[in-house]
Amino acid sequence: MNDAASILAARLADLWRNSRPLIDERLAALRATHEALTLNFDDVAARTRGREAAHKLSGVLGTFGLPRGSEIAGAIEGKLMDHDPLGPADLDQMAAHIAALDAVIASKNAG
Amino acid sequence: MPRRVLIIDDEDDIREVAALSLETVAGWDVTMAGSGAAGIAKAQELHPDAILLDVMMPVMDGPTTFRELRALPETANIPVILLTAKVQAADQKRFSDLGVAAVMFKPFDPLTLAQDIAKALGWHDA
Repeated sequence: MNDAASILAARLADLWRNSRPLIDERLAALRATHEALTLNFDDVAARTRGREAAHKLSGVLGTFGLPRGSEIAGAIEGKLMDHDPLGPADLDQMAAHIAALDAVIASKNAG
Repeated sequence: MPRRVLIIDDEDDIREVAALSLETVAGWDVTMAGSGAAGIAKAQELHPDAILLDVMMPVMDGPTTFRELRALPETANIPVILLTAKVQAADQKRFSDLGVAAVMFKPFDPLTLAQDIAKALGWHDA
C-alpha cells in the first residue's frame, strides 16, 4: 500500500468509528420499519422511513469497504420501493436481510 | 494549482469520505455543502473546477440544484457530476439527459474516486 492509500485507510477507519452512531440509527430505523409493517402491511410512513434508511446504508456501507452491506441494503430499499403491500414472506426476508446487515457491520467492527 | 471541487450532499458520512478521498489521494482542495441551497451559494462564491452533486436530498434535490446552477451565469459552466445510489438504467438516462458532465454511483471506491472524476471530466492530472 502506498503512502496515500495508507493515510486514507487510517483516516477512513476514524471516520467509520465516527459514523457508527448514524449507521446504528439507520439500522434501528429498518428494525422499526419491519416492526411497523408486521403490525400493518400498509403503513406508508413506516415504509418511507425504512426506504430512506436503506437508501443511505446502501450508499455508504460499500464506501467503507462493505460492498455486501450495500447490496443487502439495496435489496431492502428495492423491496420497500415496490407499490404492493409486503406479505409475511417479504417480511421474513426483510428480517433476514436486517440480521445479515447487522452481521456485516459487526464483522467490520471486529476486523 | 490543485483542482478545487465542491461536494454537495446531505449525508455527512458520504460527504466526509468523498472529501477525505479527494484530498488525500489527489491533493485537491475540497469544499463541502450539506444542501442544494448552500451548495449553490458556495459555487457562486468559489467557482470550483467541478461539483459532485448528490441526487437524493431533502428540500432541493440534485436535479433541481443542477438546474439552478445552470440558470446562474457565474455557475452555468461549472461541470457537474451527479452522485446517486440509484442504479436503474431509466434513472441513469434521465440524469444524463439533464446535461450533467457525468453520473457516478454510490457506493464509490475512495481510492479511485479522484481518478474516476478526472476521467469523466477529461482531466489528466489525477
